[in-house]
Amino acid sequence: MAFVRLRGVSVEFPIYSGGSRSLKKVLLNRTTQGNIGKDARDRVSVLALSDIDLDIRHGDRLALVGVNGAGKSTLLKVLAGIYEPTRGQAHSSGRVSALLTASVGVNPEATGRENIVMRGMFMGVHPRQMRAHVDEIADFTELGYYIDMPVRTYSAGMLIRLCFAVATTFAPEILLMDEWLSAGDAGFLTKAKRRMENFVSGSSILVLASHNVPLLEEWCNRAILLDQGRIIAAGSVAEIAERYQPGTG
Amino acid sequence: MELAFAAPDEGRDLVQDMPPPPRRAVLAWRDLARGLSWSWMWWALAWQDIKLRYRGSVLGPFWLTLSTLLMVLAMGVIYARLFHADIHVYVPYLAMGLIIWQLISGLITDGCQTFLASEGVIQQVPIPFSIHVYRVVCRNFIVLGHNLVLVPIGIVALDLPVDWHLLEVVPACVVLALNGVWIGIFFGILSARFRDIPPIVASVLQIAFFITPIFYPLSALGNYRLLADINPLFAAVDVLRAPLTGVAVAKYSWPLLLISTAFGCGVTFAVFARFRGRIAYWI
Repeated sequence: MAFVRLRGVSVEFPIYSGGSRSLKKVLLNRTTQGNIGKDARDRVSVLALSDIDLDIRHGDRLALVGVNGAGKSTLLKVLAGIYEPTRGQAHSSGRVSALLTASVGVNPEATGRENIVMRGMFMGVHPRQMRAHVDEIADFTELGYYIDMPVRTYSAGMLIRLCFAVATTFAPEILLMDEWLSAGDAGFLTKAKRRMENFVSGSSILVLASHNVPLLEEWCNRAILLDQGRIIAAGSVAEIAERYQPGTG
Repeated sequence: MELAFAAPDEGRDLVQDMPPPPRRAVLAWRDLARGLSWSWMWWALAWQDIKLRYRGSVLGPFWLTLSTLLMVLAMGVIYARLFHADIHVYVPYLAMGLIIWQLISGLITDGCQTFLASEGVIQQVPIPFSIHVYRVVCRNFIVLGHNLVLVPIGIVALDLPVDWHLLEVVPACVVLALNGVWIGIFFGILSARFRDIPPIVASVLQIAFFITPIFYPLSALGNYRLLADINPLFAAVDVLRAPLTGVAVAKYSWPLLLISTAFGCGVTFAVFARFRGRIAYWI
Protein backbone atom coordinates (compact mmCIF):
# COMPACT_ATOMS: atom_id res chain seq x y z
CA MET A 1 0.00 0.00 0.00
CA ALA A 2 1.40 3.37 -0.98
CA PHE A 3 2.01 5.94 1.71
CA VAL A 4 4.23 8.91 2.46
CA ARG A 5 5.08 10.00 5.96
CA LEU A 6 7.08 13.07 6.90
CA ARG A 7 8.09 13.89 10.46
CA GLY A 8 9.67 17.17 11.39
CA VAL A 9 11.08 17.57 7.90
CA SER A 10 13.07 20.70 7.21
CA VAL A 11 14.96 21.59 4.11
CA GLU A 12 17.60 24.23 4.28
CA PHE A 13 19.52 25.42 1.27
CA PRO A 14 22.97 26.71 2.02
CA ILE A 15 23.91 29.69 -0.09
CA TYR A 16 27.58 29.74 -0.88
CA SER A 17 29.20 33.06 -1.39
CA GLY A 18 31.04 33.89 -4.57
CA GLY A 19 29.74 34.14 -8.08
CA SER A 20 30.68 30.57 -8.90
CA ARG A 21 27.49 29.17 -7.47
CA SER A 22 24.60 29.01 -9.84
CA LEU A 23 22.54 27.58 -7.01
CA LYS A 24 21.80 31.12 -6.04
CA LYS A 25 19.95 31.67 -9.25
CA VAL A 26 17.87 28.59 -8.69
CA LEU A 27 16.96 29.74 -5.22
CA LEU A 28 16.01 33.21 -6.28
CA ASN A 29 13.67 31.66 -8.79
CA ARG A 30 12.18 29.21 -6.39
CA THR A 31 11.95 30.65 -2.94
CA THR A 32 11.46 34.33 -3.47
CA GLN A 33 9.76 34.53 -0.12
CA GLY A 34 11.57 31.89 1.95
CA ASN A 35 13.09 32.56 5.33
CA ILE A 36 16.65 33.67 5.03
CA GLY A 37 18.69 32.81 8.09
CA LYS A 38 22.16 31.84 9.17
CA ASP A 39 23.21 28.39 10.27
CA ALA A 40 25.65 27.38 12.98
CA ARG A 41 28.70 27.97 10.83
CA ASP A 42 27.43 31.38 9.86
CA ARG A 43 26.61 30.36 6.33
CA VAL A 44 23.59 32.10 4.92
CA SER A 45 20.85 29.62 4.26
CA VAL A 46 17.30 29.62 3.08
CA LEU A 47 14.82 27.59 5.04
CA ALA A 48 12.64 26.26 2.24
CA LEU A 49 10.67 23.85 4.42
CA SER A 50 10.33 24.01 8.15
CA ASP A 51 9.22 21.23 10.46
CA ILE A 52 6.73 19.56 8.15
CA ASP A 53 4.61 16.74 9.56
CA LEU A 54 2.55 15.11 6.88
CA ASP A 55 0.81 11.80 6.30
CA ILE A 56 -0.40 10.97 2.84
CA ARG A 57 -2.36 7.75 2.63
CA HIS A 58 -3.56 5.44 -0.05
CA GLY A 59 -6.33 7.11 -2.06
CA ASP A 60 -5.39 10.66 -1.10
CA ARG A 61 -5.38 13.28 -3.79
CA LEU A 62 -3.62 16.10 -2.11
CA ALA A 63 -3.55 19.68 -3.35
CA LEU A 64 -0.58 21.84 -2.42
CA VAL A 65 -1.57 25.45 -2.23
CA GLY A 66 0.55 28.48 -1.52
CA VAL A 67 2.07 31.57 -3.07
CA ASN A 68 5.29 31.44 -5.09
CA GLY A 69 8.14 30.42 -2.85
CA ALA A 70 5.94 28.92 -0.17
CA GLY A 71 7.81 25.64 -0.57
CA LYS A 72 5.49 23.65 -2.82
CA SER A 73 8.14 22.56 -5.30
CA THR A 74 10.62 21.76 -2.55
CA LEU A 75 8.02 19.65 -0.78
CA LEU A 76 7.31 17.76 -4.00
CA LYS A 77 11.02 17.06 -4.35
CA VAL A 78 11.19 15.72 -0.82
CA LEU A 79 8.17 13.52 -1.52
CA ALA A 80 9.84 12.27 -4.70
CA GLY A 81 12.98 11.33 -2.76
CA ILE A 82 15.12 13.83 -4.66
CA TYR A 83 15.94 16.07 -1.72
CA GLU A 84 16.98 14.36 1.46
CA PRO A 85 15.62 16.43 4.33
CA THR A 86 18.28 18.35 6.19
CA ARG A 87 16.36 17.66 9.39
CA GLY A 88 13.65 15.20 10.29
CA GLN A 89 12.64 12.00 8.60
CA ALA A 90 10.82 10.93 5.50
CA HIS A 91 9.52 7.48 4.79
CA SER A 92 7.54 6.37 1.80
CA SER A 93 6.50 3.27 -0.01
CA GLY A 94 5.19 2.99 -3.54
CA ARG A 95 6.40 3.53 -7.08
CA VAL A 96 6.87 7.28 -7.52
CA SER A 97 6.42 9.15 -10.75
CA ALA A 98 7.21 12.83 -10.59
CA LEU A 99 6.32 15.51 -13.12
CA LEU A 100 8.24 18.38 -11.64
CA THR A 101 9.64 20.43 -14.46
CA ALA A 102 8.50 19.87 -17.99
CA SER A 103 11.56 20.73 -19.99
CA VAL A 104 14.26 19.44 -17.68
CA GLY A 105 15.46 15.93 -18.33
CA VAL A 106 14.35 16.02 -21.93
CA ASN A 107 17.00 15.78 -24.58
CA PRO A 108 16.08 18.41 -27.18
CA GLU A 109 18.13 16.79 -29.94
CA ALA A 110 16.57 13.36 -29.56
CA THR A 111 13.24 12.52 -31.16
CA GLY A 112 10.01 12.18 -29.21
CA ARG A 113 10.26 8.43 -29.54
CA GLU A 114 13.80 8.39 -28.13
CA ASN A 115 12.82 10.69 -25.29
CA ILE A 116 9.93 8.42 -24.39
CA VAL A 117 12.31 5.49 -24.15
CA MET A 118 14.84 7.55 -22.21
CA ARG A 119 12.33 8.91 -19.69
CA GLY A 120 10.98 5.42 -19.30
CA MET A 121 14.47 4.24 -18.53
CA PHE A 122 14.84 6.74 -15.72
CA MET A 123 11.63 5.35 -14.29
CA GLY A 124 13.27 1.94 -14.28
CA VAL A 125 11.49 0.64 -17.37
CA HIS A 126 13.58 -1.36 -19.80
CA PRO A 127 13.77 0.18 -23.32
CA ARG A 128 12.30 -2.97 -24.83
CA GLN A 129 9.27 -2.73 -22.61
CA MET A 130 8.95 0.99 -23.22
CA ARG A 131 9.08 0.65 -27.00
CA ALA A 132 5.99 -1.52 -26.82
CA HIS A 133 4.14 1.46 -25.35
CA VAL A 134 5.40 4.16 -27.69
CA ASP A 135 2.45 3.86 -30.05
CA GLU A 136 -0.04 4.08 -27.23
CA ILE A 137 1.73 7.21 -25.95
CA ALA A 138 1.90 8.72 -29.44
CA ASP A 139 -1.81 8.10 -29.69
CA PHE A 140 -2.61 9.81 -26.41
CA THR A 141 -0.40 12.81 -27.10
CA GLU A 142 -1.80 13.27 -30.63
CA LEU A 143 1.70 14.14 -31.73
CA GLY A 144 1.29 12.37 -35.06
CA TYR A 145 4.48 12.28 -37.04
CA TYR A 146 6.07 14.76 -34.63
CA ILE A 147 6.87 11.69 -32.56
CA ASP A 148 9.84 11.10 -34.89
CA MET A 149 11.01 14.71 -34.86
CA PRO A 150 13.58 16.18 -32.45
CA VAL A 151 11.90 17.43 -29.31
CA ARG A 152 13.36 20.91 -29.80
CA THR A 153 10.75 21.40 -32.53
CA TYR A 154 7.90 20.81 -30.07
CA SER A 155 5.66 23.46 -28.61
CA ALA A 156 5.41 23.75 -24.83
CA GLY A 157 2.00 22.09 -24.91
CA MET A 158 3.31 19.15 -26.91
CA LEU A 159 6.13 18.66 -24.44
CA ILE A 160 3.70 18.66 -21.52
CA ARG A 161 1.59 16.02 -23.22
CA LEU A 162 4.60 13.87 -23.89
CA CYS A 163 5.95 14.04 -20.34
CA PHE A 164 2.54 13.49 -18.81
CA ALA A 165 1.85 10.50 -21.01
CA VAL A 166 5.14 8.84 -20.15
CA ALA A 167 4.79 9.48 -16.43
CA THR A 168 1.34 7.93 -16.37
CA THR A 169 1.96 4.97 -18.66
CA PHE A 170 2.75 2.53 -15.89
CA ALA A 171 0.13 3.44 -13.30
CA PRO A 172 2.38 4.96 -10.65
CA GLU A 173 1.40 4.46 -7.05
CA ILE A 174 2.47 7.96 -6.14
CA LEU A 175 2.12 10.66 -8.77
CA LEU A 176 3.59 14.08 -8.03
CA MET A 177 2.83 17.02 -10.28
CA ASP A 178 4.01 20.59 -10.14
CA GLU A 179 1.98 23.52 -11.35
CA TRP A 180 3.23 23.50 -14.92
CA LEU A 181 0.61 20.88 -15.72
CA SER A 182 -2.08 23.54 -15.65
CA ALA A 183 -0.29 25.17 -18.56
CA GLY A 184 -1.86 22.55 -20.80
CA ASP A 185 -4.99 23.56 -22.75
CA ALA A 186 -8.50 22.58 -21.77
CA GLY A 187 -8.66 19.68 -24.21
CA PHE A 188 -5.51 18.21 -22.80
CA LEU A 189 -6.64 18.63 -19.20
CA THR A 190 -9.86 16.76 -19.89
CA LYS A 191 -7.96 13.94 -21.53
CA ALA A 192 -5.37 13.92 -18.79
CA LYS A 193 -8.03 13.71 -16.13
CA ARG A 194 -9.66 10.77 -17.84
CA ARG A 195 -6.32 9.00 -18.06
CA MET A 196 -5.61 9.67 -14.41
CA GLU A 197 -8.99 8.43 -13.29
CA ASN A 198 -8.08 5.03 -14.64
CA PHE A 199 -5.59 4.55 -11.89
CA VAL A 200 -6.15 7.23 -9.27
CA SER A 201 -9.66 6.02 -8.57
CA GLY A 202 -8.41 2.58 -7.63
CA SER A 203 -5.43 3.05 -5.40
CA SER A 204 -2.45 5.34 -5.33
CA ILE A 205 -1.65 8.85 -4.28
CA LEU A 206 -1.75 12.07 -6.21
CA VAL A 207 -0.06 15.26 -5.04
CA LEU A 208 -0.69 18.28 -7.20
CA ALA A 209 0.69 21.77 -6.72
CA SER A 210 -1.20 24.49 -8.52
CA HIS A 211 -2.66 27.97 -8.33
CA ASN A 212 -5.59 26.90 -10.41
CA VAL A 213 -8.34 26.46 -7.79
CA PRO A 214 -11.02 25.00 -10.10
CA LEU A 215 -8.51 22.43 -11.30
CA LEU A 216 -7.60 21.49 -7.75
CA GLU A 217 -11.23 21.24 -6.73
CA GLU A 218 -11.86 18.91 -9.60
CA TRP A 219 -8.84 16.68 -9.10
CA CYS A 220 -8.20 16.62 -5.36
CA ASN A 221 -9.95 15.60 -2.16
CA ARG A 222 -7.59 17.11 0.43
CA ALA A 223 -5.49 20.23 0.54
CA ILE A 224 -2.75 21.82 2.56
CA LEU A 225 -1.77 25.45 2.55
CA LEU A 226 1.91 26.24 2.67
CA ASP A 227 3.36 29.53 3.72
CA GLN A 228 7.06 30.28 4.14
CA GLY A 229 7.89 26.59 4.27
CA ARG A 230 5.29 25.68 6.89
CA ILE A 231 1.93 23.96 6.68
CA ILE A 232 -0.42 26.61 8.03
CA ALA A 233 -3.71 24.90 7.25
CA ALA A 234 -5.07 21.57 6.14
CA GLY A 235 -8.55 20.51 5.14
CA SER A 236 -10.85 20.14 2.18
CA VAL A 237 -9.93 21.84 -1.06
CA ALA A 238 -12.82 24.29 -0.72
CA GLU A 239 -11.78 25.37 2.80
CA ILE A 240 -8.18 25.83 1.85
CA ALA A 241 -9.03 27.63 -1.37
CA GLU A 242 -11.03 30.11 0.67
CA ARG A 243 -8.12 30.80 3.00
CA TYR A 244 -5.73 31.10 0.13
CA GLN A 245 -5.72 34.58 -1.27
CA PRO A 246 -3.15 34.82 -3.99
CA GLY A 247 -1.15 37.97 -4.05
CA THR A 248 -1.41 38.88 -0.39
CA GLY A 249 1.13 36.30 0.74
CA MET B 1 10.20 1.05 -4.08
CA GLU B 2 10.84 2.01 -0.50
CA LEU B 3 12.47 5.26 0.51
CA ALA B 4 13.62 6.19 3.96
CA PHE B 5 15.73 9.21 4.66
CA ALA B 6 16.80 11.23 7.53
CA ALA B 7 19.66 13.38 8.52
CA PRO B 8 21.11 10.89 11.01
CA ASP B 9 23.65 13.10 12.70
CA GLU B 10 21.63 16.22 13.09
CA GLY B 11 18.07 17.01 13.81
CA ARG B 12 15.55 16.02 16.32
CA ASP B 13 14.96 12.72 18.05
CA LEU B 14 13.93 9.75 16.01
CA VAL B 15 10.23 9.31 15.71
CA GLN B 16 8.32 6.28 16.85
CA ASP B 17 6.26 5.37 13.82
CA MET B 18 9.16 5.07 11.39
CA PRO B 19 11.96 2.63 10.82
CA PRO B 20 15.30 4.00 11.94
CA PRO B 21 17.10 5.59 8.99
CA PRO B 22 20.03 3.59 7.59
CA ARG B 23 23.53 4.85 8.17
CA ARG B 24 25.12 7.03 5.53
CA ALA B 25 27.74 4.44 4.60
CA VAL B 26 25.01 1.85 4.11
CA LEU B 27 23.05 4.21 1.88
CA ALA B 28 26.17 4.99 -0.14
CA TRP B 29 27.00 1.33 -0.56
CA ARG B 30 23.42 0.53 -1.54
CA ASP B 31 23.55 3.32 -4.11
CA LEU B 32 26.71 1.90 -5.70
CA ALA B 33 25.43 -1.68 -5.72
CA ARG B 34 21.94 -0.89 -6.96
CA GLY B 35 23.34 1.31 -9.70
CA LEU B 36 25.68 -1.43 -10.82
CA SER B 37 22.88 -3.96 -10.95
CA TRP B 38 20.92 -1.72 -13.34
CA SER B 39 23.55 -2.35 -15.97
CA TRP B 40 21.08 -2.19 -18.84
CA MET B 41 20.30 1.38 -17.86
CA TRP B 42 23.81 2.85 -17.85
CA TRP B 43 24.76 0.75 -20.81
CA ALA B 44 21.80 2.08 -22.82
CA LEU B 45 22.45 5.66 -21.64
CA ALA B 46 26.11 5.46 -22.62
CA TRP B 47 25.20 4.22 -26.10
CA GLN B 48 22.58 6.90 -26.41
CA ASP B 49 25.25 9.52 -25.62
CA ILE B 50 27.50 8.17 -28.33
CA LYS B 51 24.69 7.95 -30.87
CA LEU B 52 23.54 11.51 -30.21
CA ARG B 53 27.05 12.89 -30.34
CA TYR B 54 27.64 11.49 -33.79
CA ARG B 55 24.13 11.84 -35.16
CA GLY B 56 24.22 12.74 -38.81
CA SER B 57 27.85 11.87 -39.38
CA VAL B 58 28.67 9.07 -41.75
CA LEU B 59 31.47 7.48 -39.78
CA GLY B 60 29.84 7.86 -36.39
CA PRO B 61 32.23 7.35 -33.49
CA PHE B 62 34.86 6.18 -35.95
CA TRP B 63 35.52 9.85 -36.64
CA LEU B 64 37.51 9.80 -33.43
CA THR B 65 39.42 6.77 -34.59
CA LEU B 66 40.15 8.46 -37.87
CA SER B 67 41.40 11.65 -36.25
CA THR B 68 43.57 9.61 -33.89
CA LEU B 69 44.97 7.75 -36.88
CA LEU B 70 45.79 10.97 -38.71
CA MET B 71 47.45 12.42 -35.62
CA VAL B 72 49.48 9.26 -35.14
CA LEU B 73 50.63 9.25 -38.74
CA ALA B 74 51.61 12.91 -38.69
CA MET B 75 53.30 12.85 -35.28
CA GLY B 76 54.75 9.38 -35.77
CA VAL B 77 56.84 10.29 -38.76
CA ILE B 78 58.21 13.53 -37.32
CA TYR B 79 58.71 12.53 -33.70
CA ALA B 80 60.29 9.18 -34.56
CA ARG B 81 62.96 11.24 -36.24
CA LEU B 82 63.21 13.76 -33.38
CA PHE B 83 63.66 11.01 -30.83
CA HIS B 84 65.86 8.94 -33.16
CA ALA B 85 63.45 6.05 -32.61
CA ASP B 86 62.65 3.07 -34.80
CA ILE B 87 59.39 3.88 -36.49
CA HIS B 88 58.11 0.31 -36.02
CA VAL B 89 58.53 0.71 -32.28
CA TYR B 90 57.61 4.34 -31.96
CA VAL B 91 54.37 4.47 -33.97
CA PRO B 92 52.54 1.75 -31.97
CA TYR B 93 53.89 3.31 -28.76
CA LEU B 94 52.56 6.73 -29.74
CA ALA B 95 49.25 5.42 -31.07
CA MET B 96 48.45 3.41 -27.96
CA GLY B 97 49.70 6.22 -25.73
CA LEU B 98 47.35 8.74 -27.35
CA ILE B 99 44.38 6.36 -27.33
CA ILE B 100 44.84 5.48 -23.68
CA TRP B 101 45.40 9.11 -22.77
CA GLN B 102 42.13 9.91 -24.50
CA LEU B 103 40.46 7.35 -22.23
CA ILE B 104 42.06 8.67 -19.06
CA SER B 105 41.54 12.34 -19.77
CA GLY B 106 38.00 11.53 -20.90
CA LEU B 107 37.29 9.76 -17.63
CA ILE B 108 38.60 12.74 -15.69
CA THR B 109 37.05 15.62 -17.67
CA ASP B 110 33.72 13.83 -18.12
CA GLY B 111 33.98 12.78 -14.51
CA CYS B 112 33.85 16.43 -13.47
CA GLN B 113 30.53 16.72 -15.33
CA THR B 114 29.08 13.47 -13.97
CA PHE B 115 26.39 15.07 -11.83
CA LEU B 116 26.31 18.52 -13.43
CA ALA B 117 25.48 17.07 -16.83
CA SER B 118 22.78 14.84 -15.34
CA GLU B 119 21.14 17.69 -13.46
CA GLY B 120 17.86 17.29 -15.28
CA VAL B 121 17.59 13.66 -14.30
CA ILE B 122 18.79 14.13 -10.72
CA GLN B 123 16.22 16.88 -10.20
CA GLN B 124 13.43 14.66 -11.52
CA VAL B 125 13.87 11.07 -10.47
CA PRO B 126 15.49 9.43 -7.45
CA ILE B 127 17.66 6.87 -9.23
CA PRO B 128 21.01 5.84 -7.71
CA PHE B 129 23.65 8.51 -8.22
CA SER B 130 26.12 5.85 -9.26
CA ILE B 131 24.13 5.26 -12.48
CA HIS B 132 25.43 8.58 -13.80
CA VAL B 133 28.98 7.56 -12.96
CA TYR B 134 28.75 4.16 -14.60
CA ARG B 135 27.28 5.85 -17.64
CA VAL B 136 30.30 8.16 -17.97
CA VAL B 137 32.78 5.31 -17.50
CA CYS B 138 30.95 3.07 -19.94
CA ARG B 139 30.76 5.83 -22.55
CA ASN B 140 34.51 6.39 -22.40
CA PHE B 141 35.21 2.69 -22.75
CA ILE B 142 32.94 2.53 -25.79
CA VAL B 143 35.09 5.25 -27.35
CA LEU B 144 38.20 3.25 -26.41
CA GLY B 145 36.69 0.22 -28.09
CA HIS B 146 36.28 2.15 -31.32
CA ASN B 147 39.85 3.38 -31.14
CA LEU B 148 41.21 -0.08 -30.49
CA VAL B 149 40.25 -1.21 -33.98
CA LEU B 150 43.57 0.43 -34.84
CA VAL B 151 45.36 -2.38 -32.98
CA PRO B 152 44.72 -5.22 -35.45
CA ILE B 153 45.30 -2.77 -38.32
CA GLY B 154 48.62 -1.74 -36.80
CA ILE B 155 49.63 -5.33 -36.11
CA VAL B 156 49.07 -6.29 -39.73
CA ALA B 157 50.48 -3.10 -41.26
CA LEU B 158 53.65 -3.04 -39.15
CA ASP B 159 53.96 -6.82 -38.91
CA LEU B 160 54.13 -6.77 -35.11
CA PRO B 161 54.46 -9.91 -32.98
CA VAL B 162 51.43 -11.02 -30.97
CA ASP B 163 51.62 -13.15 -27.83
CA TRP B 164 49.74 -14.07 -24.68
CA HIS B 165 50.81 -10.84 -22.94
CA LEU B 166 47.99 -9.21 -24.85
CA LEU B 167 45.60 -10.75 -22.29
CA GLU B 168 47.04 -8.42 -19.65
CA VAL B 169 44.80 -5.73 -21.11
CA VAL B 170 41.88 -7.36 -19.28
CA PRO B 171 43.04 -6.68 -15.70
CA ALA B 172 44.35 -3.30 -16.86
CA CYS B 173 40.94 -2.30 -18.21
CA VAL B 174 39.22 -3.52 -15.06
CA VAL B 175 41.49 -1.42 -12.84
CA LEU B 176 41.16 1.62 -15.11
CA ALA B 177 37.37 1.29 -15.04
CA LEU B 178 37.45 1.13 -11.25
CA ASN B 179 39.53 4.29 -11.25
CA GLY B 180 37.02 5.86 -13.61
CA VAL B 181 34.30 5.18 -11.06
CA TRP B 182 35.99 6.83 -8.13
CA ILE B 183 37.19 9.72 -10.28
CA GLY B 184 33.67 10.26 -11.57
CA ILE B 185 32.21 10.30 -8.07
CA PHE B 186 34.96 12.34 -6.47
CA PHE B 187 35.35 15.01 -9.13
CA GLY B 188 31.63 14.88 -9.88
CA ILE B 189 30.80 15.85 -6.30
CA LEU B 190 33.62 18.36 -6.07
CA SER B 191 32.59 20.05 -9.31
CA ALA B 192 28.96 20.15 -8.25
CA ARG B 193 29.96 22.06 -5.15
CA PHE B 194 32.73 24.23 -6.60
CA ARG B 195 32.09 25.25 -10.16
CA ASP B 196 35.67 26.22 -10.90
CA ILE B 197 36.92 22.64 -10.52
CA PRO B 198 36.32 21.54 -14.15
CA PRO B 199 38.47 24.28 -15.73
CA ILE B 200 41.19 23.77 -13.11
CA VAL B 201 41.23 20.04 -13.77
CA ALA B 202 41.32 20.66 -17.52
CA SER B 203 44.42 22.82 -17.30
CA VAL B 204 46.17 20.46 -14.91
CA LEU B 205 45.46 17.63 -17.35
CA GLN B 206 47.01 19.56 -20.17
CA ILE B 207 50.21 19.97 -18.19
CA ALA B 208 50.06 16.31 -17.19
CA PHE B 209 49.94 15.31 -20.85
CA PHE B 210 53.33 16.88 -21.40
CA ILE B 211 55.06 15.63 -18.26
CA THR B 212 53.80 12.08 -18.71
CA PRO B 213 55.69 9.89 -21.18
CA ILE B 214 52.94 9.49 -23.76
CA PHE B 215 54.38 10.77 -26.99
CA TYR B 216 58.01 10.47 -25.94
CA PRO B 217 59.71 7.26 -24.77
CA LEU B 218 60.44 6.68 -21.10
CA SER B 219 64.16 6.59 -21.87
CA ALA B 220 64.00 10.19 -23.12
CA LEU B 221 63.52 11.30 -19.50
CA GLY B 222 67.09 10.24 -18.66
CA ASN B 223 67.87 11.34 -15.11
CA TYR B 224 64.32 12.57 -14.61
CA ARG B 225 62.97 9.05 -14.82
CA LEU B 226 61.71 9.44 -11.23
CA LEU B 227 59.05 11.78 -12.66
CA ALA B 228 57.47 8.83 -14.42
CA ASP B 229 58.02 6.35 -11.58
CA ILE B 230 55.89 8.41 -9.20
CA ASN B 231 53.33 9.51 -11.78
CA PRO B 232 50.11 7.50 -11.41
CA LEU B 233 48.95 8.75 -14.80
CA PHE B 234 52.00 7.14 -16.40
CA ALA B 235 51.29 3.95 -14.47
CA ALA B 236 47.73 3.98 -15.80
CA VAL B 237 48.88 4.46 -19.39
CA ASP B 238 51.68 1.94 -19.05
CA VAL B 239 49.69 -1.03 -17.72
CA LEU B 240 47.45 -0.92 -20.76
CA ARG B 241 49.94 0.23 -23.37
CA ALA B 242 52.70 -2.24 -22.59
CA PRO B 243 50.66 -5.40 -23.33
CA LEU B 244 49.16 -3.75 -26.42
CA THR B 245 52.57 -2.90 -27.81
CA GLY B 246 54.17 -6.18 -26.75
CA VAL B 247 56.63 -4.87 -24.15
CA ALA B 248 56.98 -5.46 -20.42
CA VAL B 249 55.15 -3.21 -17.98
CA ALA B 250 57.50 -0.84 -16.12
CA LYS B 251 58.57 -2.01 -12.68
CA TYR B 252 56.58 0.44 -10.56
CA SER B 253 53.50 0.80 -12.72
CA TRP B 254 51.26 -1.88 -11.21
CA PRO B 255 52.14 -1.23 -7.54
CA LEU B 256 51.75 2.52 -8.01
CA LEU B 257 48.46 2.15 -9.85
CA LEU B 258 47.04 -0.25 -7.29
CA ILE B 259 48.01 1.98 -4.39
CA SER B 260 46.48 5.02 -6.08
CA THR B 261 43.33 3.04 -6.85
CA ALA B 262 42.93 1.87 -3.26
CA PHE B 263 43.58 5.36 -1.93
CA GLY B 264 41.20 6.97 -4.42
CA CYS B 265 38.44 4.46 -3.71
CA GLY B 266 38.80 4.86 0.05
CA VAL B 267 38.72 8.64 0.08
CA THR B 268 35.93 8.75 -2.47
CA PHE B 269 33.73 6.35 -0.53
CA ALA B 270 34.03 8.53 2.56
CA VAL B 271 33.21 11.66 0.53
CA PHE B 272 30.32 9.94 -1.24
CA ALA B 273 28.83 8.64 1.99
CA ARG B 274 29.06 12.08 3.57
CA PHE B 275 27.82 14.23 0.69
CA ARG B 276 25.60 11.94 -1.39
CA GLY B 277 22.47 13.53 0.02
CA ARG B 278 23.72 17.01 -0.84
CA ILE B 279 24.33 16.47 -4.54
CA ALA B 280 20.73 17.25 -5.47
CA TYR B 281 20.99 20.53 -3.56
CA TRP B 282 24.23 21.61 -5.16
CA ILE B 283 23.53 21.09 -8.82
